[in-house]
This record gives sequence, C-alpha cells and structure tokens, in this order.
Amino acid sequence: MNLNFFSPLFLYGLLGISAPVLIHFLIRRKQKRIRFSAVYLLAQSQKRSARNPRPNRLLLLLARCLAVALFSLALADPFFSFRSSEAFLSSSPAAVVFILDDSYSMEAQADERTLFDHALEFIFEEIKQAPEKSEYSLVLASSPARVEQDWTSDKTIFEKMLQAQSVSFRTTRIGDAIGQSIKLLDSAGQEKKKILLLTDLDKNGWREEAFSEISHFPFYPIRVVDFSRLQSKGNDGMVKSVQASQEFLTRSRLLRVNAKVRNFSNVLSRRALSLFLEGKIVKEEFLDIPPGQTLTHEFSYPLRKNQPLKGKVQVSNDALMIDNSRHFSFHPSQNLKVMVVDGDPKTISHQSESFYLERALNPFSVSLSHIDPTISTLAELPLRNLSDFSVVILANIRELAPGYELELEEFVLNGGALLFGMGDQVNPKYFNERLGNLLPVKLDSQYQVRKGEPSLHLSLENNAHPVMKIFSHKEIDEMREINFYSTYTIQPREDKKFKVGTWFSNQNPAVVESNVGKGIVVLFLSSLDRDWNDFSIQPTFLPWVQRWTQYSARGLDNISRQNLLVGEPFRQSASGPDSNWIIRSPDGSLYVLGNEEEIFSETFQPGTYHLFSAPSVGTSSAAKKTPVKIPDGAESAGTFTVNVDIQESEPGKIFQKEIASFLAGMKIEIQEPRSSTATPQTDDGVPLATFLFLMVAGMFLAEGWMVRKE
Amino acid sequence: MPMKTSAPQFDTQILSRISTLKMTAMNLVEGLLTGQHRSRHKGASVEFAEYKDYSPGDEIRHIDWKVVGKTDKYHVKQFEQSTNLKCTILLDASGSMAYQSPLKEQHPKMEYARTLVAALSYLLLKQFDAVGLTLFNDKVVEHIPPRSKASHYQQILHSLANISPQGTTRIDDVLGGLAGRLRGRSMFILVSDFFVQNQNLRKNLKLLCSRGFEVILFHVLHPDEIRLPFEGDIIFESLEDDPAMELDPKDINAEYQKMVQEHINSFQQDCNGLGVDYVFLDTSESMEQALIYYLLKRKSLVKL
Repeated sequence: MNLNFFSPLFLYGLLGISAPVLIHFLIRRKQKRIRFSAVYLLAQSQKRSARNPRPNRLLLLLARCLAVALFSLALADPFFSFRSSEAFLSSSPAAVVFILDDSYSMEAQADERTLFDHALEFIFEEIKQAPEKSEYSLVLASSPARVEQDWTSDKTIFEKMLQAQSVSFRTTRIGDAIGQSIKLLDSAGQEKKKILLLTDLDKNGWREEAFSEISHFPFYPIRVVDFSRLQSKGNDGMVKSVQASQEFLTRSRLLRVNAKVRNFSNVLSRRALSLFLEGKIVKEEFLDIPPGQTLTHEFSYPLRKNQPLKGKVQVSNDALMIDNSRHFSFHPSQNLKVMVVDGDPKTISHQSESFYLERALNPFSVSLSHIDPTISTLAELPLRNLSDFSVVILANIRELAPGYELELEEFVLNGGALLFGMGDQVNPKYFNERLGNLLPVKLDSQYQVRKGEPSLHLSLENNAHPVMKIFSHKEIDEMREINFYSTYTIQPREDKKFKVGTWFSNQNPAVVESNVGKGIVVLFLSSLDRDWNDFSIQPTFLPWVQRWTQYSARGLDNISRQNLLVGEPFRQSASGPDSNWIIRSPDGSLYVLGNEEEIFSETFQPGTYHLFSAPSVGTSSAAKKTPVKIPDGAESAGTFTVNVDIQESEPGKIFQKEIASFLAGMKIEIQEPRSSTATPQTDDGVPLATFLFLMVAGMFLAEGWMVRKE
Repeated sequence: MPMKTSAPQFDTQILSRISTLKMTAMNLVEGLLTGQHRSRHKGASVEFAEYKDYSPGDEIRHIDWKVVGKTDKYHVKQFEQSTNLKCTILLDASGSMAYQSPLKEQHPKMEYARTLVAALSYLLLKQFDAVGLTLFNDKVVEHIPPRSKASHYQQILHSLANISPQGTTRIDDVLGGLAGRLRGRSMFILVSDFFVQNQNLRKNLKLLCSRGFEVILFHVLHPDEIRLPFEGDIIFESLEDDPAMELDPKDINAEYQKMVQEHINSFQQDCNGLGVDYVFLDTSESMEQALIYYLLKRKSLVKL
C-alpha cells in the first residue's frame, strides 16, 4: 500500500497545526493553587455536573488541529495506492540508468543555481544512498543522445564523471535517450533494472517519432524527476532570428540587422534589445512586446570599414539566458577588381559583351561601387598583371595568346576566379584542347533554336544556388521569361568534378562551375550580350552578373552559412591537395579539416566560427588535427555562425498522459525533485482529496458545535 | 494563617490576639446588652418556687418569718435553680476551619469563629453561667470544663488564641464522647463549618437532645465556600485530607452552589426535626445576629 501526493508542497500546510496549538497555549489561563476547605464537595459537584470542560477544550484543540491537517492534506491531493511503495534506489542492488537532460533549457535559473546543477545534485544524493554493488550508467539526453558512462559499480568513478558534466547548447532527445537506456538495461546483469530521468519536461524533447523507433518497451520502472518545478521565474522571451544585410546596389554602406524577438509571458514586456558588433554594444533600444507575440526590429548601423563583421543581438535577461542572444556574421560586399576581356569588340559599343558587362558590374561608374571592372581586349591581355584582379571574365574569346592558358591556370590555382561567356567567336576545339586543365567539361556543339520552335528559358524551379538567393519570386519569374536562342552543349570530362548552377529548359546546363585549386571556373553557356539571348537587356542581368562575380570571388560564402544551428554540420568544399581548412570555434579551439573532408561537426557552441585556408599540414597525427595556433600563411576564408535551436526555448511542457502514451507498458512515476515520494499514474489508486475535504467540513461542524457548547 | 501549635504562654502575638479577642468580644456583648437586656441580670438567678415544712438541716435564713408570724408554723422558702447553666462550647478546630480567602482581605473563617466563641463565653459568664470550651477535630484537642468564675474567661481566651486548625473533622466521635461525660443540665453550642462526609451527625444530636441537653448549632461558612467565586484553571488543595482537584470553577459553579445549599438545608431540616437550634453564619455578615439569637434562646430557656 502506498500513499502519494500530487502536490506535496501543500504538505507544508501541516505546519499550520501549530496555529491552534499556539492559540490554545496563549489563551490558556495561568494555573493557580488554592487551599480550599470543601474539596470533596467540588469533587461531588464535578461528578454531578453535566459539563466536562477540560476534555472539551482539548477536543476542541484536537478538532481544530485535525481540520487544519486534513485541509492541507486535501490540498496536497493525496492518492492511495495498493501497490507497494519502494524507494527507487532500494536497499537491494540494482542497475540504474541515469538519463540526464543536458539541453540548454536546463540552464534556466532556480534559486541561484541552474536546473542542471540541481539535477546533478539529485544524482549525487541518489548515488550516496544507493546500496553497494549497484551499477550505474549515464545517458545524456541532449541531441544526439549518447551513453556518457557505461555500466560501473564504482561510485567514485561515476561521481567524477558527473562532476565533469556541464549543460550543453543542444536540444533534447528524450526518446533516443530512453531507447539507449533500454539497450543498456537489456545488457545489464543485475536483476533489478531502473531508469531515472532528470529533465525539465520540455515538450520539444518528446518527439513521437523517436519513441516509435524504440523496438520494445520492457517493464522497467522509470521515474521522471521534473526539475521545471524548481524554476524561480519563467523564460520570458528570446531572440527568434537575426538577419544581417546590406541593401543591394545601394551606394550607402549601411548594415541592416533585422531581429525578431518573442515574448513568452502573459504580460506586455518592455525589454532592452542590444546590438553588439565585434564584442561591443553599438545600439540599444527598448521594445514593448505584446504578450505571446513576436516583434520585429531593425537596427541600422553605418559600416565604416569594408571588413567582415561578427555580432549578436541580445535581449535583456530572464530565467534562461542562452536564448536571449543570437549571433550573426556579415561580409560586406568586397571591393573586387574584375577584368573583362572582350573577345569580340565592336565599334558599336552596345554590340560588345564588354558594354553590357561593364554596366552590369559598375552601373554608376563611381568609385564607391564594390566592383571595379577593367575592360581589356585579347591583345592587351598579356600586358595585364593577373594578380591585380580577383575575377577575370573571358567573354566570347576565340583563342588566347600562345601559352597564356598556363598563366590563367596559375591564376585560378592561386584563388582567382575565371568566368567564361560563350559567343560566335568561341572556338570549341581550342577550348577543349588547350583549356582542358581549367574547364571541367568539353564544349560539344552550338545549339540553335530553329525558326518556329520556342526559345529556350532558364529552368529556375527549386534553384537553391547561393547566387539565386536574393532574387524574389517576381524576379525569378522574369528571369524564366528570358529567351535564349543559342547555347553551347557540353560533355563532361572524365575525372573532373563540376556542378551545374542553372539549367536550360531543354535540360542542358546553363551555368557550370568547378573548383580548381583555390579558385573557381564558371562557364556560362550562352552569350553575355544580345547575340544569343536577350538576357543582357533585362533588369535581372545586372544583379545576376554581380552575384556570379561575387560568388566566384568567394564573396558569398557566409550568406549560405549564417543559419547553422548547434550540432548542425558545417559543409565546405574540399580544400584540394595542397591546403587545409582550419576552423576556429568561438572559444578559440582550432580544428583542421582533412583534404578530403567536407563536413565539420563540432558545432556545439553558439557563436561565430572562422574559416581559414592554410597550406597543407597533413592529417596524420592528432596534434595536427587540433593545432594550437593558426599556421603561418593561413588566409581567412570567411565566417559562419551557429545559434541555438529556438525550439528548445518554447515554454510548452509535456503532460503526464502524453508520457504514458509514449512509454506504453513501462511503469512511470513522476516526481518533484524535493519530494521523496513519486506521483503515480492516476489509474494507479484512489484519490482521497474529496473525502478529506468532507472530513474537513465535518471537523468544522464539530468544532462549531463544541464552541457553541462551551 | 496556621497558628503555632506549641506557642509559649508569653508569646506576644498570642497575648495581643487574646487582648484583641477580649476587646472585640466585650464590645460586641456590651453593646448588645445595653438597654433592653441589662435588667435581666439582676436577681434573675434566684426565683421562688414553693414552701416546705421546716425540717432539721434546713438553713434558718431560708425560714419565712412572716409565715411563722401568721401561722405559727415553720416554713422554709424553696427556690428554683435557674442560674449556673453549664454551657459547653464545641469549636471545630479541623483543617477546614483554617480557610482564608485568596481573593480579598476578609477575616479568616477561624477568626470569625474564634470571636464568636469569645463573645458567647463572655456573654455567658456575664450572666453567671458556667462556660466550658472544647476544641476538636477528629478528636478532642482541648477541653476546658465549664466554670462560672470571671477569671475563667481568660483561660478560654487563651485557649482560643492558641488554636491551630488542622486534621480532619469527626464530630460524631466528639459528640458521642461528650454526651457520655457531661451530666446535669447542660447546653451545647457547636460552632463548625460541618464539612463532614458520611457521618451520622443527626444520630448524635438526637442522643444529646434525648438526654435533655440544649443544643445550638452555629454553621459558619466563608462566602467563598458558598459561592465559589474563583476563575481560571485552579488546583484546589484540600485543607484536610481530600485529594487535590484541577478544574475551572466556572464549569461547576452552579452545581457546587446547589450542593452547598442542599448541605445547609439538610442541616436545617435535621435540626428542626430534632428541636435543635440552627444558626447559619456567613462570615461576611455581622456576628450580632448570632448573639441576638443566643440571647433570645437564653431568654426562652430561663422562662421554662
């Protein structure tokens, strides 16, 4: 038999019993002694008297105490169960899996410590009281759930391992953790097997699909300790998202940071929103956020230097600090020197590729523009120093000067960008034979739309290329209307990798790109003037050319990688045989990506990560894998930011019934951290609250009757 | 205040108490007798009854010479004996008589009884009656035989001043013993609170009456003992040998008063039935009432 309470905090009300006792003693008169002559008459009178005062007064006190006690018991919502009550870590040894929720929501403040600290303390207490020969293991429930400590019966080892734990920035995966715990228990040798789950019952962590993957639910008792009850105040809000941008093609250098802030509370919240750049607060505003609403606020900040920036938007403190700030990094448009080589210059300017390209790259012809085009002819090309330029656009060239292709190869291998535009001057034979090291594909033949046939269009459905990101639906629709009359078809070269950036409507590639060394080669398979299409006179031509130019000059890297969440892998194209990628995390740790590695998974801290391109150091030893400092010769290759997943911040809690449905078949008990008894499931026994309330009413009636009699 | 049991004769306190007692009693009695009763003292002690023929041995001074002159026969006057009444005052000296109110400055019960006995003694002696005093609790503590000498008063006062009330009350035994010892025409004045349990007082009173003794009961009670005016949680400790009791008097007050009244009524009825005079005295009231009652009683006794 077992008596439990749903709200054991109300049991503190039992202290209220002291009130009637105190009153009884305070109003009790001082006892006097009198020497009297007719004591035997007093005795006879008392015997004959119908009133029996002393017992009545004591009964009155008893009735009042009982009424107070029953009332607090009733409020505590007692629950009588016929099932036996056993201490969770009972006197006999057992195998216990501690599932510790180390997601960032456990960082919420409770008193002066975090929920996670309380959870750790709870485990320490449990271990201390556990009998010898018990076995313990620890599963961390943050994403991805993992076994942190396999079975051990050595309390010292287990406690040391616990002391090393800290709250993470990840989300919760209770389902996966329980699945791993069941596997652990299946392998345990002890007869008694138990799971102790320490969590804040954040709803985000309880996903149905994770539980559906668990193959079986054996009858292991699982006790859930809900630490959210300790939380001193609520998580009032968070920064939902941050987007940094610079208006496209404006002459101003104004950084716009767009932040969305959510108010979780039920009241209007006036909160300070701050913009930090390079670790310093540069702007602060006060926002009145309606209850339950999300407010968007835009900061404007003049960019004085044309350098990459990292920053964060932070909202004033509440119980959970982690979700109060969100990081971003921003690369202002770089000053690019671009050389446009026109292979078919015409005396009528608007018939030349260079005419359109120059106006697309620098439409205002002012020095403020971030792209500085230089027009050149094929004859002038050998006179130019290629290292002065970031991007070289070869538009409609027939052939290069003999041996010049080697210079171009060196230019690209060292990080230069080479863009090709087709045209009637292009000699496929020369391209295929002499530029084989640069081009990943062979030019096949010129495809021309016959008369009466519909012209070709760009196929832009679901185009996720970074270049296309800024184009709105309307602009995309406009681009899809552009007519292409003539293109080059290609054939892939063996052992060459390339990507198709855009397709034509006839399933032929429109833009092909390939990484060569540190540089990139981009092939546009139609003309960059009006000869083969009418793209160059469309409004979208200008941003399209600029975006491709920036992209090929690695200027758009950060754009695609701003929105990583904690734990999400960072993907980077392979560095090539002669160099490595080095990543510096927000805490200063350095990681080297191998030559062939493209994925960086150690994104477990929110903040700004820096990517460096360094000469190859080899990856044979572990020391080289995690270098102490950035090697000489390394160049910054951009930044990306990692932020916490805001789903973990949502204040919703999982209900007991939902837990029971997820873990059908398991014996579940939910417990508050400060109570020694667990709350059983409601179908486990008989609720006593109503009965106790009736008894309270009865006690008050009896008390009233006694007072009246008195 | 309990009194010293072995106080020496020259104890200044006792001497002072005797003096005070004497003064109080004399003032009380003299004041009472002034005017209406003083004449009764003169020659009331000898009253003519009848003539008888002279016979040798009769006192010559009792021959009525007027009758000899008229009838030439010697007749001797005979007088009824109306003086030298022997009165024994029985004063209860048990523990219960020592009651002293904790509430306010009132005379202790024993003081009242002591004064009453002193006054009665004075009154009796003033009338040339013999007065004796018997102090008792569960037995006779002290007995002063009745005498009519004026100096006897001092002895009674001394005895009264030395009373130390203690022990339980057993009136039955005392009365039974006295009834056996005393002879002739006697009067008993019994002064007590009569807080006695299960004793056959009525039987002993009846015995006294049947032997021709005049009996007067003075039932002396303190107002506290009648009304029980206490409040709060009180432990009542017995002045005799009853076990202590803890109670709130308010709870039993009505019942107690009823019982006391029944107690008094019961005595009164018993006394009426036996022809015993019963006087109830509340120590808060004047003692004159008791003395007046006695004088009236004495007057009627003399006339008989």
